[in-house]
Amino acid sequence: MSLLEIQDLSVVYEPRGAVPTHAVKNASLSLEQGEFVGLVGESGSGKSTLGFAVTRLAKAPARISGGRIVFDGTDIAHLDAEELRSQRRGGFAMVLQSGMNALNPVRSIANHFGDIFAAHGHVPKGRRRQRAIELLDKVQLPSTVLDRYPGELSGGMRQRVSIALALSLEPRLMVFDEPTTALDVLVQHAVMDTVRELQAAEGFTAVLISHDLGVVLESAERVVVMHDGEIVEDGASRQIFSAPAHPYTQMLLSHYADPRAEVVELPGFERKASAAERAGGNGEARPERAAAHDAIVVDHVSKVYPPPRRGEKAVTAVDDVSFRLEPGAAMALVGQSGSGKSTIAKMVTGVERPTSGTVTFGDLRVDRLRRRQLRTLHADVQMVFQDPYSALNPLHTVEYTLTRPVENFTGLKGEAARERVLQLLETVGLTPVEQYAAKLPHQLSGGQRQRVVIARALASDPQVLIADEPVSMLDVSLRAGVLSLLEDLRADLGVSLLYITHDLLSARVVTDQIMVLHHGKVVESGGTTQVLRFPEDAYTTQLLDAIPQPARRFAGGAAS
Amino acid sequence: MRYALRKLGLLVLTLWAAVTLNFVIPRLMPGSPADAAIAKLAQNGPVTPSVQAAIEAQLGVPGGSIWDQYVTYLNNVIHLDFGVSYTFFPQQVSELVAGALPWTLIMVGAVTVIAFVLGTLIGIGAAWKRGTWMDSLPTVAGSFLSAFPYFWTALLIVFFLGYVLGWFPTSGAYSATAVPNLSWEFLGDVLYHAALPAITILITSLGGWILGMRNTMINTLGDDYVTFAEANGLRGRTVAIRYAARNAILPNLTGFGMALGGVVGGSLLVEQVFAYPGVGYLLFNAVTNQDFPLMQALFLMITVSVLLANFLVEILYGVLDPRTRR
Repeated sequence: MSLLEIQDLSVVYEPRGAVPTHAVKNASLSLEQGEFVGLVGESGSGKSTLGFAVTRLAKAPARISGGRIVFDGTDIAHLDAEELRSQRRGGFAMVLQSGMNALNPVRSIANHFGDIFAAHGHVPKGRRRQRAIELLDKVQLPSTVLDRYPGELSGGMRQRVSIALALSLEPRLMVFDEPTTALDVLVQHAVMDTVRELQAAEGFTAVLISHDLGVVLESAERVVVMHDGEIVEDGASRQIFSAPAHPYTQMLLSHYADPRAEVVELPGFERKASAAERAGGNGEARPERAAAHDAIVVDHVSKVYPPPRRGEKAVTAVDDVSFRLEPGAAMALVGQSGSGKSTIAKMVTGVERPTSGTVTFGDLRVDRLRRRQLRTLHADVQMVFQDPYSALNPLHTVEYTLTRPVENFTGLKGEAARERVLQLLETVGLTPVEQYAAKLPHQLSGGQRQRVVIARALASDPQVLIADEPVSMLDVSLRAGVLSLLEDLRADLGVSLLYITHDLLSARVVTDQIMVLHHGKVVESGGTTQVLRFPEDAYTTQLLDAIPQPARRFAGGAAS
Repeated sequence: MRYALRKLGLLVLTLWAAVTLNFVIPRLMPGSPADAAIAKLAQNGPVTPSVQAAIEAQLGVPGGSIWDQYVTYLNNVIHLDFGVSYTFFPQQVSELVAGALPWTLIMVGAVTVIAFVLGTLIGIGAAWKRGTWMDSLPTVAGSFLSAFPYFWTALLIVFFLGYVLGWFPTSGAYSATAVPNLSWEFLGDVLYHAALPAITILITSLGGWILGMRNTMINTLGDDYVTFAEANGLRGRTVAIRYAARNAILPNLTGFGMALGGVVGGSLLVEQVFAYPGVGYLLFNAVTNQDFPLMQALFLMITVSVLLANFLVEILYGVLDPRTRR
């Protein structure tokens, strides 16, 4: 008998006064004891809703509208609260996406374990501390963590703690909902290793929910693909990797590529020759629309922040970095969080001043600009932000959002400004422009929002765009579109691009030059293809290794 | 511990600053109480130098350098010597304040604490049972009652419960015939007299606490640690109290500190309506009679009580939230 049998499960969201959404439609799935299954889909595919329904954590307005969830012979879809609560020990556990927020900030880690032991009474009082230490050891944390509060631990440590807490229930089924998405690249890799080792050692059934097919293919034996609330494909990882049957799976898979490969191609993305190159490399014959004519020169720049608390050391965010962003060029700044890449962006845009060194843009000394001169700089250097969901004011229409910078920077008014706004929307590919102009941010998808953010950055007709992780919040199917928009802007308008990311694949496709940052220092730089294909620094190799490589796992197999 | 000491140091510093401001501000104002009294007399006819000297002697025109005055003033403050009241001459200001303060602290202070505790508990219940009658009843009733102006509620209560029905006395802190002592009989009399003002304050402030707690707790209930606690099969009560409410109460503590600090100064209206002999009543008298020594002492009291209440809340924060202790 299967450990978990999901039969025709449907989950509906019924918000008061709104149209109900069928998030999961007649899903059927059975899991055997000890299986490691990946559940993949993009946002809105219903994968998390399914995960929450299976662990009976779905809350109003979500409701299980039909079907059965048989766990170990019992239909848990209709258990009452107390039966369900006691089932959670030795039953099904869940590790949430944002493990950093899954711990109560005002209770110590020891208390978290204590609460679970007390709720189920499965560990005698005298042994509780010992048991907690054993569990922490399983996720490779020292016992000193017990007396800490969540705020005193790093994101990766907190996610490990929540895995240990889930493990303390001695579950037979563990659902991991995007367990590493909120974590830093290298930490992600380490946490996933721990998850795999634990699953092998403890023998629980694992369900790994992720938007990242690469992560899933690397860990799971079997992959279930969801799209629009339906399970569209269910098969062994090897088979999904080598011969995906459903077009949606094929699409997801096509967006995976190894940044180290000789040729990297993304569907929907085409590399173009830049405006300058098309002009025959001859500087004088630039096309009329070559926007950029000034280089950004960063010269021996350092940024030291004062110590966060008294008695601690000052933080050196950027340490003696120099580079030159030529007009019309595209350069990537890569590194894990805390490597100083965003601080460099802040100094280039004049938001922060370097502690030492100089930043120049054309004749402007960016590091010495006063408030009023910053405006001059910002007419030419603009920023595209990471999170399109918070970069737009939800109360303003797209037209209003774009009209403000147009009026501020170009001095156009009224009908002329509107004309320019529509032209910007056209440039970023939001057509029909009139319709998009009237929309509010919540009526747009993530990719469309990011296009609006880019359009806003273009309002001043800038020479340089600084894009800070512009696609990391977007689904893979939308990424290529935004990336090719950036590519078009560079090729057709001649805008220079400083591309900040931890995602080496996207850096590979949109940039020519790359700088790898580690602890504020440049550890490696050069041509993007060269550096990623033949990394010389150990840290670059580490970053490359952290990228899930299903190809490597299945390389020994028939299809590769 | 280091956190508490640091906050204590800060308290001493702010107290000193408040006391000093209380010294400086009256001195920056043109004229003096003696000038004002003499000017008033001068409207009725010329003031002889002897009368002028007598007034100045009586009201105490300061002598010596400003520094000497400051030292004398600090010394007086430390010994709680605020001079003699004009209105209740020849009573000491300190005696008057000492006579009024307990009534305010006990009645208004206790009710403020009770309102906060009760409101928070009801708020927790409402958020936990969101969408049921346990949620809608207190939230609707709370917002309805707290929408009434303070004095209007007070007047309605005096009229109906005190005057029409005659259940409660409408003025005073205890019966005219009662002798203040520590007997149960006297205590009962005090509670009986405190009932109407207490009910008024409770009615008008309870709603705010209920709504505040309910809304913040609904937010914390949506937080991941609550979902995770449920996923781990913790008992409902543990999740509600230790996880959701423990975190939801933190922002409300600030409001509580402000309410507590406002007890001494904010009781003016209610004490006026119920002729309750507390600090508010005294302050009203001091202001209408231009009783400067009394006013100065009361203003200082109000400042000090706000500072103390804030200190208390900060210590409470330190106990409840490990993040602030660092």
